Amino acid sequence: MLRAIRRNKAAYLFILPALLLMLLIVFVPLLQGIYYSFTNMDQYNMGNKFVKASYEWIGLANYKRVLAGEGLAEFLGVLKQTMIWTFTNVFFHFILGFGLALLLNRHIKGRGLYRMLLLIPWAVPSFISAFAWRWMFNGEFGFINMVLRKMGFEGVAWLSDPVWAMTAVIITNVWLGFPFMMVTFLGGLQSIPRDLYEAAYVDGASRFQQFLHITLPQMKSTIFTATLLGVIWTFNLFAVIYLITEGGPYNSTQILVTFAYVKAFNNWQLAEATTYGVIILSLLIAFSFFYSRVLKMTEEK
Amino acid sequence: MARVQLKHVYKRYTADVATVKDFNLDIADREFLVLVGPSGCGKSTTLRMIAGLEEITEGELLIGDRLVNDVHPKDRDIAMVFQNYALYPHMSIYENMAFGLKLRKVSKAEIDKRVRDAAKILDIEHLLDRKPKALSGGQRQRVALGRAIVREPQVFLMDEPLSNLDAKLRVQMRAEIAKLHQRLQTTVIYVTHDQTEAMTMGDRIVVMKDGLIQQVGTPQEIYNHPNNVFVASFIGSPSMNFLRGNLVEEGGALFFRAEGANVRLPEGRYAALREAGVVGKEVILGIRPENVHDEPMVLDTFPDSTVQADVEVVELLGAESYVYLNLAGQSLVARVAARSEIKPLTKVSLALDINKIHVFHADTEQAIF
Ligand SMILES: Nc1ncnc2c1ncn2[C@@H]1O[C@H](COP(=O)(O)OP(=O)(O)OP(=O)(O)O)[C@@H](O)[C@H]1O
Ligand SMILES: [Mg+2]
Repeated sequence: MLRAIRRNKAAYLFILPALLLMLLIVFVPLLQGIYYSFTNMDQYNMGNKFVKASYEWIGLANYKRVLAGEGLAEFLGVLKQTMIWTFTNVFFHFILGFGLALLLNRHIKGRGLYRMLLLIPWAVPSFISAFAWRWMFNGEFGFINMVLRKMGFEGVAWLSDPVWAMTAVIITNVWLGFPFMMVTFLGGLQSIPRDLYEAAYVDGASRFQQFLHITLPQMKSTIFTATLLGVIWTFNLFAVIYLITEGGPYNSTQILVTFAYVKAFNNWQLAEATTYGVIILSLLIAFSFFYSRVLKMTEEK
Repeated sequence: MARVQLKHVYKRYTADVATVKDFNLDIADREFLVLVGPSGCGKSTTLRMIAGLEEITEGELLIGDRLVNDVHPKDRDIAMVFQNYALYPHMSIYENMAFGLKLRKVSKAEIDKRVRDAAKILDIEHLLDRKPKALSGGQRQRVALGRAIVREPQVFLMDEPLSNLDAKLRVQMRAEIAKLHQRLQTTVIYVTHDQTEAMTMGDRIVVMKDGLIQQVGTPQEIYNHPNNVFVASFIGSPSMNFLRGNLVEEGGALFFRAEGANVRLPEGRYAALREAGVVGKEVILGIRPENVHDEPMVLDTFPDSTVQADVEVVELLGAESYVYLNLAGQSLVARVAARSEIKPLTKVSLALDINKIHVFHADTEQAIF
């Protein structure tokens, strides 16, 4: 490493300013956030133009409260919702994305057109789509309930019933998120050499066997990367929930990031919000580490 | 029994263009047949039709007397070796070779026996546990062959299997494939665009151009008696020389005349030339570089068949030299002994060995002899 730096001194010198700026933008706030999580910062002691900040170092007290004290039940509840939110989303993103990619990878007429249409959810700015969906889910005037009533069903209390509200935000995000997976998988599928399929075909492999023995193994690293990114993004996805339900009703659609936001900017419990932030970060790092470990293990086999 | 017959086979990718046209060929059991031709002439297409990877638009394909136009590749009793090897990257070499057999539900013991036998023949036993990416090009090629061998097919189909190897390895693998063919005693259909491969490996060669068979024959036949200018120029390296000139009759003898060339043709050919009706007309004379001589002794033997040309470049290749000449605007290459005294930028006389001459129609480019 050091030798490499010495050898390419000029190159490193050139990227140094950019590197420093990155450090400043990324690490300073991060370290600051971590620091706050060890204090008792709130709206009264945070300080402002006129009053000097007076919060104090309180060690692990915040973590104790959230992970072992009176905040635990609340934390676990939100964590459970976060898990449901994340894995349901990624599951459907994956299924839809992979399925559509497989379809689009075949030589069908109008392939380009389908691909473009399917990319629309991705191309539209997500806050616009989120608002559109919020209206569609409206209990009285929403498009979805209108259709349901026309078909003779009763309308659903999409945004005021806890379970339906979670369903609604997940539907919205599935719609928003599958094109990314689809495009990623399509790229992966198209880079599989055709002669592998031909060799397998001559070897006597059926369509399904070709999928099992060529497509899946060849797609493994693409699948790994896409789902890892998908989990991280979805876990941290703030906009959709905040714009549609604002975490409600009764915090039933709150996930860790939205909850931390509410704590910070609605309740001004800044120390606890940063504590949540650090926990989120730790969870994601642990997950990524574990996930890549599993992948390595299957590779060695 | 694995005779392979193609009867009036056509391939059309689009309605109006035929990529392979009226392909007729009867390949004998155990024959090593080479399809050769320039890029895009339809060699791969033909092979892929035999393999069952492309549909046959029209005509009949028989393998071992069975019509197989609509038979699935796996039931055609063939095995294919692909140009880029097409090894399954995530499987070990052993699994690569065993895959086709496993799908066929061959017993474990039998698979193991066949894989190990093939690995032994190909000298890749020590590689069986590796993944393809940990192998060199030559080793991968062996594995690809091995994967075909374990199937014990009646016919091997190979599409430019050596084109990804370096020159030295190619020569070595060429010999190995030939040896393998003798050992396995099966039919091989082998595609290449390299005429050297075709000449050295084939029992018979099929020369193709633009989807049409130009000539079928043993390497000797094709080399010594090419059907037309295309075959004559494609087979042989360096390529045959072609001179345009007129065929004139003088005092009962026939001469080929062009500026710088006055060549008396052998009497034994007169009948053929007269019959072809080219006396007094323009013709193309073909002569291979090795039949253009500069030794004084040969010049004395063939005083009536000399040409005068300007030497442009002399290329010394060790035992021999290629001399590039300009014969009044037509180019001519001679292959002479390295000790030859020919110097660049001089004018020399060269003798053509008239017994090795070819004459072609100037318009159709078909051979008269
Ligand atoms: N799937 C296809 N659709 C349309 N045209 C095709 C298709 N496959 C091949 N062709 C055309 O058919 C012709 C013959 O192709 P082929 O691959 O048989 O050539 P080849 O003799 O094997 O050449 P090479 O030495 O370059 O491999 C080419 O002009 C090619 O463009
Ligand atoms: Mg080809």
